[in-house]
Amino acid sequence: MASNKTPQDPHGFDPEIRQIEQQIVEFFAEKSPEFTGRHPIIATVMTYFDTRRSLTQQDLRKLTGFSAGTISKSVRQLMDMNVVTKETIPGTHKHVYRMEKLPFTSARYFGGTGKLLEEMEKELKEMKETLDTHAEEMKDLEGYRKIYTTITQLLELISTAPLFMALIDEEIGKFTKENK
Amino acid sequence: MENSKPRLIEKKLRTIEKRLVDLLTKAGYLKGRSRKFSEITAHIYIHQEVTQKLLRKLTGYSLGTISTALQTLEKQGVVHKHSDPDTHEYHYELDGTVSQTVFRSLRDIQQFLYQMKEFFRGIEAKLSHPHLSNKKGYENIRQFLDELDIVIPAHERVFQRFQSIVSDAKPKQEVQ
Repeated sequence: MASNKTPQDPHGFDPEIRQIEQQIVEFFAEKSPEFTGRHPIIATVMTYFDTRRSLTQQDLRKLTGFSAGTISKSVRQLMDMNVVTKETIPGTHKHVYRMEKLPFTSARYFGGTGKLLEEMEKELKEMKETLDTHAEEMKDLEGYRKIYTTITQLLELISTAPLFMALIDEEIGKFTKENK
Repeated sequence: MENSKPRLIEKKLRTIEKRLVDLLTKAGYLKGRSRKFSEITAHIYIHQEVTQKLLRKLTGYSLGTISTALQTLEKQGVVHKHSDPDTHEYHYELDGTVSQTVFRSLRDIQQFLYQMKEFFRGIEAKLSHPHLSNKKGYENIRQFLDELDIVIPAHERVFQRFQSIVSDAKPKQEVQ
Protein backbone atom coordinates (compact mmCIF):
# COMPACT_ATOMS: atom_id res chain seq x y z
CA MET A 1 0.00 0.00 0.00
CA ALA A 2 2.84 2.40 0.76
CA SER A 3 4.14 4.36 -2.21
CA ASN A 4 7.52 3.29 -3.54
CA LYS A 5 8.48 6.91 -4.18
CA THR A 6 10.62 8.33 -1.42
CA PRO A 7 11.11 11.98 -2.35
CA GLN A 8 12.84 12.94 0.87
CA ASP A 9 12.95 11.46 4.31
CA PRO A 10 11.49 13.77 6.99
CA HIS A 11 13.96 12.50 9.60
CA GLY A 12 16.89 12.07 7.24
CA PHE A 13 16.93 8.26 7.53
CA ASP A 14 19.70 6.56 5.59
CA PRO A 15 18.39 4.95 2.34
CA GLU A 16 19.41 1.43 3.45
CA ILE A 17 17.63 1.86 6.79
CA ARG A 18 14.66 3.36 4.97
CA GLN A 19 14.49 0.27 2.77
CA ILE A 20 14.36 -2.00 5.82
CA GLU A 21 11.69 0.21 7.35
CA GLN A 22 9.64 0.01 4.14
CA GLN A 23 9.77 -3.79 4.25
CA ILE A 24 8.40 -3.68 7.81
CA VAL A 25 5.63 -1.28 6.75
CA GLU A 26 4.68 -3.47 3.78
CA PHE A 27 4.60 -6.56 6.00
CA PHE A 28 2.07 -4.96 8.38
CA ALA A 29 0.06 -3.36 5.56
CA GLU A 30 -0.38 -6.81 4.00
CA LYS A 31 -0.71 -9.02 7.08
CA SER A 32 -2.73 -6.87 9.51
CA PRO A 33 -5.85 -6.77 7.27
CA GLU A 34 -5.62 -10.54 6.76
CA PHE A 35 -5.25 -11.47 10.42
CA THR A 36 -6.89 -8.63 12.34
CA GLY A 37 -9.18 -6.92 9.80
CA ARG A 38 -7.26 -3.67 10.38
CA HIS A 39 -7.42 -1.37 7.37
CA PRO A 40 -4.16 -1.39 5.30
CA ILE A 41 -3.90 2.43 5.44
CA ILE A 42 -4.23 2.44 9.22
CA ALA A 43 -1.71 -0.42 9.44
CA THR A 44 0.73 1.57 7.26
CA VAL A 45 0.43 4.83 9.21
CA MET A 46 0.58 2.99 12.54
CA THR A 47 3.80 1.20 11.57
CA TYR A 48 5.49 4.53 10.81
CA PHE A 49 4.58 5.61 14.36
CA ASP A 50 6.04 2.30 15.63
CA THR A 51 9.40 3.17 14.10
CA ARG A 52 9.42 7.01 14.22
CA ARG A 53 7.22 7.71 17.31
CA SER A 54 6.74 11.42 16.43
CA LEU A 55 5.35 12.65 13.09
CA THR A 56 3.47 15.55 11.52
CA GLN A 57 0.78 15.01 8.88
CA GLN A 58 3.22 16.38 6.32
CA ASP A 59 5.87 13.82 7.37
CA LEU A 60 3.30 11.06 6.92
CA ARG A 61 2.37 12.32 3.46
CA LYS A 62 6.04 12.21 2.43
CA LEU A 63 6.56 8.75 3.85
CA THR A 64 3.40 7.09 2.56
CA GLY A 65 2.44 9.07 -0.54
CA PHE A 66 -1.17 9.12 0.73
CA SER A 67 -3.32 12.24 0.20
CA ALA A 68 -3.75 14.93 2.88
CA GLY A 69 -7.36 13.82 3.43
CA THR A 70 -6.38 10.17 3.93
CA ILE A 71 -3.63 11.12 6.40
CA SER A 72 -5.93 13.45 8.31
CA LYS A 73 -8.58 10.69 8.65
CA SER A 74 -5.95 8.14 9.69
CA VAL A 75 -4.42 10.22 12.48
CA ARG A 76 -7.93 11.05 13.70
CA GLN A 77 -8.69 7.31 13.92
CA LEU A 78 -5.37 6.57 15.68
CA MET A 79 -6.19 9.27 18.25
CA ASP A 80 -9.66 7.75 18.77
CA MET A 81 -7.92 4.38 19.25
CA ASN A 82 -5.65 5.91 21.96
CA VAL A 83 -2.60 4.99 19.89
CA VAL A 84 -1.26 8.54 19.36
CA THR A 85 -1.67 11.94 20.99
CA LYS A 86 -1.64 15.36 19.35
CA GLU A 87 0.49 18.31 20.43
CA THR A 88 0.86 21.79 18.99
CA ILE A 89 4.39 22.75 17.95
CA PRO A 90 5.16 25.87 20.06
CA GLY A 91 4.98 29.12 18.12
CA THR A 92 3.19 27.50 15.16
CA HIS A 93 -0.25 26.25 14.23
CA LYS A 94 1.23 22.90 13.26
CA HIS A 95 0.58 19.68 15.12
CA VAL A 96 2.83 16.79 15.90
CA TYR A 97 1.42 13.34 16.65
CA ARG A 98 3.23 11.11 19.14
CA MET A 99 3.16 7.45 20.02
CA GLU A 100 4.65 7.28 23.52
CA LYS A 101 4.79 3.50 23.66
CA LEU A 102 3.88 0.62 21.36
CA PRO A 103 0.09 0.16 21.69
CA PHE A 104 0.47 -3.35 23.10
CA THR A 105 2.58 -2.07 26.00
CA SER A 106 0.64 1.10 26.65
CA ALA A 107 -1.69 1.49 29.64
CA ARG A 108 -3.43 4.28 27.70
CA TYR A 109 -4.30 1.86 24.86
CA PHE A 110 -5.51 -0.90 27.14
CA GLY A 111 -7.31 1.64 29.33
CA GLY A 112 -9.25 2.72 26.24
CA THR A 113 -10.08 -0.90 25.41
CA GLY A 114 -11.28 -1.51 28.99
CA LYS A 115 -13.49 1.58 28.86
CA LEU A 116 -14.95 0.54 25.50
CA LEU A 117 -15.81 -2.91 26.86
CA GLU A 118 -17.47 -1.39 29.94
CA GLU A 119 -19.57 0.89 27.73
CA MET A 120 -20.47 -2.01 25.45
CA GLU A 121 -21.50 -4.19 28.37
CA LYS A 122 -23.71 -1.45 29.83
CA GLU A 123 -25.42 -0.77 26.51
CA LEU A 124 -25.90 -4.46 25.67
CA LYS A 125 -27.46 -5.09 29.08
CA GLU A 126 -29.88 -2.21 28.51
CA MET A 127 -30.84 -3.63 25.10
CA LYS A 128 -31.34 -7.12 26.53
CA GLU A 129 -33.53 -5.72 29.31
CA THR A 130 -35.78 -3.98 26.77
CA LEU A 131 -36.02 -7.19 24.71
CA ASP A 132 -36.86 -9.22 27.83
CA THR A 133 -39.49 -6.70 28.96
CA HIS A 134 -41.24 -6.77 25.59
CA ALA A 135 -40.53 -10.43 24.75
CA GLU A 136 -44.19 -11.37 24.40
CA GLU A 137 -44.96 -8.57 21.95
CA MET A 138 -41.71 -8.78 20.04
CA LYS A 139 -41.03 -12.51 19.79
CA ASP A 140 -42.76 -12.96 16.42
CA LEU A 141 -41.29 -9.86 14.82
CA GLU A 142 -38.72 -10.37 12.09
CA GLY A 143 -35.19 -10.46 13.47
CA TYR A 144 -36.13 -10.58 17.18
CA ARG A 145 -34.56 -13.97 17.81
CA LYS A 146 -31.37 -13.12 15.88
CA ILE A 147 -30.92 -9.77 17.63
CA TYR A 148 -31.49 -11.42 21.01
CA THR A 149 -29.00 -14.21 20.27
CA THR A 150 -26.33 -11.75 19.09
CA ILE A 151 -26.71 -9.62 22.23
CA THR A 152 -26.55 -12.67 24.52
CA GLN A 153 -23.43 -14.02 22.80
CA LEU A 154 -21.70 -10.64 22.93
CA LEU A 155 -22.43 -10.37 26.66
CA GLU A 156 -20.95 -13.83 27.17
CA LEU A 157 -17.83 -12.82 25.24
CA ILE A 158 -17.44 -9.58 27.19
CA SER A 159 -17.62 -11.56 30.44
CA THR A 160 -14.29 -13.20 29.48
CA ALA A 161 -12.61 -9.81 28.84
CA PRO A 162 -11.51 -9.13 32.47
CA LEU A 163 -9.57 -12.41 32.44
CA PHE A 164 -7.92 -11.49 29.16
CA MET A 165 -7.02 -8.00 30.42
CA ALA A 166 -5.61 -9.45 33.66
CA LEU A 167 -3.37 -11.83 31.69
CA ILE A 168 -2.14 -8.93 29.54
CA ASP A 169 -1.45 -6.85 32.65
CA GLU A 170 0.52 -9.73 34.14
CA GLU A 171 2.58 -10.56 31.04
CA ILE A 172 3.19 -6.93 30.01
CA GLY A 173 3.87 -6.10 33.68
CA LYS A 174 6.77 -8.59 33.56
CA PHE A 175 7.99 -6.78 30.44
CA THR A 176 7.97 -3.33 32.05
CA LYS A 177 9.65 -4.66 35.23
CA GLU A 178 12.32 -6.40 33.15
CA ASN A 179 13.02 -3.09 31.43
CA LYS A 180 13.28 -0.92 34.55
CA MET B 1 -55.13 3.92 17.43
CA GLU B 2 -55.32 0.11 17.72
CA ASN B 3 -52.42 -0.30 15.33
CA SER B 4 -50.19 2.20 17.06
CA LYS B 5 -48.91 -0.15 19.81
CA PRO B 6 -47.61 -2.89 17.46
CA ARG B 7 -46.00 -0.15 15.37
CA LEU B 8 -44.35 1.26 18.47
CA ILE B 9 -43.03 -2.17 19.43
CA GLU B 10 -41.69 -2.76 15.89
CA LYS B 11 -40.01 0.67 16.05
CA LYS B 12 -38.46 -0.21 19.42
CA LEU B 13 -36.98 -3.42 18.00
CA ARG B 14 -35.55 -1.61 14.96
CA THR B 15 -34.01 1.02 17.28
CA ILE B 16 -32.29 -1.75 19.25
CA GLU B 17 -31.06 -3.34 16.00
CA LYS B 18 -29.61 0.02 14.90
CA ARG B 19 -27.96 0.58 18.31
CA LEU B 20 -26.42 -2.89 18.09
CA VAL B 21 -25.05 -2.21 14.61
CA ASP B 22 -23.68 1.18 15.76
CA LEU B 23 -22.04 -0.40 18.81
CA LEU B 24 -20.32 -3.13 16.76
CA THR B 25 -19.29 -0.57 14.14
CA LYS B 26 -17.70 1.62 16.80
CA ALA B 27 -15.87 -1.36 18.33
CA GLY B 28 -14.48 -2.32 14.90
CA TYR B 29 -13.41 1.27 14.16
CA LEU B 30 -11.57 1.49 17.49
CA LYS B 31 -9.64 -1.65 16.54
CA GLY B 32 -8.42 0.01 13.33
CA ARG B 33 -11.02 -1.29 10.90
CA SER B 34 -12.87 0.96 8.49
CA ARG B 35 -16.36 2.05 9.52
CA LYS B 36 -17.87 0.55 6.35
CA PHE B 37 -16.18 -2.83 6.86
CA SER B 38 -17.21 -2.86 10.54
CA GLU B 39 -20.83 -2.02 9.71
CA ILE B 40 -21.06 -4.76 7.10
CA THR B 41 -19.57 -7.25 9.59
CA ALA B 42 -22.10 -6.12 12.24
CA HIS B 43 -25.04 -6.88 9.92
CA ILE B 44 -23.61 -10.31 9.16
CA TYR B 45 -23.24 -11.06 12.90
CA ILE B 46 -26.92 -10.24 13.38
CA HIS B 47 -28.44 -11.73 10.22
CA GLN B 48 -26.06 -14.73 10.09
CA GLU B 49 -26.78 -15.18 6.39
CA VAL B 50 -26.87 -12.36 3.84
CA THR B 51 -26.75 -11.60 0.13
CA GLN B 52 -24.98 -8.64 -1.46
CA LYS B 53 -28.41 -7.24 -2.29
CA LEU B 54 -29.57 -7.42 1.34
CA LEU B 55 -26.35 -5.76 2.57
CA ARG B 56 -26.85 -2.98 0.03
CA LYS B 57 -30.39 -2.46 1.32
CA LEU B 58 -29.23 -2.46 4.96
CA THR B 59 -26.17 -0.20 4.58
CA GLY B 60 -26.69 1.80 1.37
CA TYR B 61 -23.05 1.10 0.41
CA SER B 62 -22.03 0.42 -3.18
CA LEU B 63 -21.84 -3.18 -4.42
CA GLY B 64 -18.09 -2.69 -4.89
CA THR B 65 -17.60 -1.80 -1.20
CA ILE B 66 -19.81 -4.72 -0.13
CA SER B 67 -18.07 -7.18 -2.43
CA THR B 68 -14.59 -6.15 -1.18
CA ALA B 69 -15.67 -6.50 2.45
CA LEU B 70 -17.19 -9.93 1.78
CA GLN B 71 -14.02 -11.11 0.03
CA THR B 72 -11.96 -10.07 3.08
CA LEU B 73 -14.38 -11.78 5.47
CA GLU B 74 -14.31 -14.93 3.33
CA LYS B 75 -10.50 -14.90 3.34
CA GLN B 76 -10.53 -14.55 7.13
CA GLY B 77 -12.89 -17.53 7.41
CA VAL B 78 -15.63 -15.41 9.01
CA VAL B 79 -18.14 -16.25 6.24
CA HIS B 80 -18.46 -18.88 3.56
CA LYS B 81 -20.51 -18.50 0.41
CA HIS B 82 -22.86 -20.83 -1.39
CA SER B 83 -25.01 -20.34 -4.44
CA ASP B 84 -28.80 -20.50 -4.25
CA PRO B 85 -29.84 -23.21 -6.77
CA ASP B 86 -33.00 -21.30 -7.74
CA THR B 87 -31.80 -17.71 -7.98
CA HIS B 88 -28.07 -18.45 -8.55
CA GLU B 89 -27.46 -15.64 -6.09
CA TYR B 90 -24.57 -16.02 -3.64
CA HIS B 91 -25.45 -16.31 0.03
CA TYR B 92 -22.80 -15.47 2.63
CA GLU B 93 -23.20 -17.38 5.85
CA LEU B 94 -21.50 -16.65 9.17
CA ASP B 95 -19.18 -19.58 9.90
CA GLY B 96 -20.41 -20.65 13.35
CA THR B 97 -21.69 -18.36 16.08
CA VAL B 98 -20.38 -14.87 16.92
CA SER B 99 -18.46 -16.35 19.90
CA GLN B 100 -16.91 -19.07 17.73
CA THR B 101 -15.88 -16.42 15.17
CA VAL B 102 -14.19 -14.30 17.84
CA PHE B 103 -12.38 -17.27 19.41
CA ARG B 104 -11.23 -18.34 15.95
CA SER B 105 -9.84 -14.86 15.39
CA LEU B 106 -7.71 -15.31 18.53
CA ARG B 107 -6.13 -18.36 16.89
CA ASP B 108 -5.51 -16.24 13.78
CA ILE B 109 -3.69 -13.68 15.91
CA GLN B 110 -1.45 -16.47 17.25
CA GLN B 111 -0.67 -17.39 13.65
CA PHE B 112 0.04 -13.70 12.97
CA LEU B 113 2.45 -13.58 15.91
CA TYR B 114 4.23 -16.64 14.52
CA GLN B 115 4.56 -15.02 11.08
CA MET B 116 5.83 -11.83 12.72
CA LYS B 117 8.57 -13.79 14.50
CA GLU B 118 9.63 -15.41 11.21
CA PHE B 119 9.57 -12.09 9.34
CA PHE B 120 11.54 -10.18 11.97
CA ARG B 121 14.21 -12.89 12.06
CA GLY B 122 14.96 -11.86 8.46
CA ILE B 123 14.88 -8.16 9.33
CA GLU B 124 17.21 -8.80 12.27
CA ALA B 125 19.70 -10.47 9.89
CA LYS B 126 19.60 -7.48 7.53
CA LEU B 127 20.03 -4.97 10.35
CA SER B 128 22.95 -6.86 11.84
CA HIS B 129 25.35 -5.76 9.07
CA PRO B 130 27.98 -3.77 11.03
CA HIS B 131 28.07 -0.90 8.52
CA LEU B 132 24.44 -0.04 9.33
CA SER B 133 24.85 0.53 13.06
CA ASN B 134 25.92 4.17 12.74
CA LYS B 135 23.48 5.07 9.98
CA LYS B 136 20.71 7.57 10.63
CA GLY B 137 17.50 5.78 11.63
CA TYR B 138 19.26 2.60 12.80
CA GLU B 139 18.44 3.27 16.46
CA ASN B 140 14.73 3.69 15.66
CA ILE B 141 14.49 0.30 13.95
CA ARG B 142 16.72 -1.31 16.62
CA GLN B 143 14.46 -0.02 19.41
CA PHE B 144 11.32 -1.28 17.64
CA LEU B 145 12.85 -4.73 17.12
CA ASP B 146 14.02 -4.90 20.76
CA GLU B 147 10.50 -4.09 21.95
CA LEU B 148 8.95 -6.69 19.64
CA ASP B 149 11.41 -9.26 20.99
CA ILE B 150 9.65 -8.96 24.32
CA VAL B 151 6.12 -8.06 23.25
CA ILE B 152 5.61 -10.98 20.83
CA PRO B 153 6.45 -13.76 23.34
CA ALA B 154 4.43 -11.93 26.02
CA HIS B 155 1.38 -11.95 23.75
CA GLU B 156 1.92 -15.56 22.77
CA ARG B 157 1.79 -16.44 26.47
CA VAL B 158 -1.39 -14.35 26.95
CA PHE B 159 -3.23 -16.10 24.10
CA GLN B 160 -2.07 -19.58 25.16
CA ARG B 161 -3.07 -19.04 28.79
CA PHE B 162 -6.40 -17.43 27.86
CA GLN B 163 -7.37 -20.24 25.50
CA SER B 164 -6.36 -22.88 27.97
CA ILE B 165 -8.41 -21.28 30.80
CA VAL B 166 -11.46 -20.72 28.57
CA SER B 167 -11.41 -24.24 27.10
CA ASP B 168 -11.00 -25.75 30.61
CA ALA B 169 -14.01 -23.73 31.80
CA LYS B 170 -16.30 -24.69 28.89
CA PRO B 171 -17.01 -28.36 29.70
CA LYS B 172 -17.95 -27.37 33.28
CA GLN B 173 -20.42 -24.76 31.99
CA GLU B 174 -22.00 -27.27 29.63
CA VAL B 175 -22.58 -29.76 32.49
CA GLN B 176 -24.40 -27.17 34.63
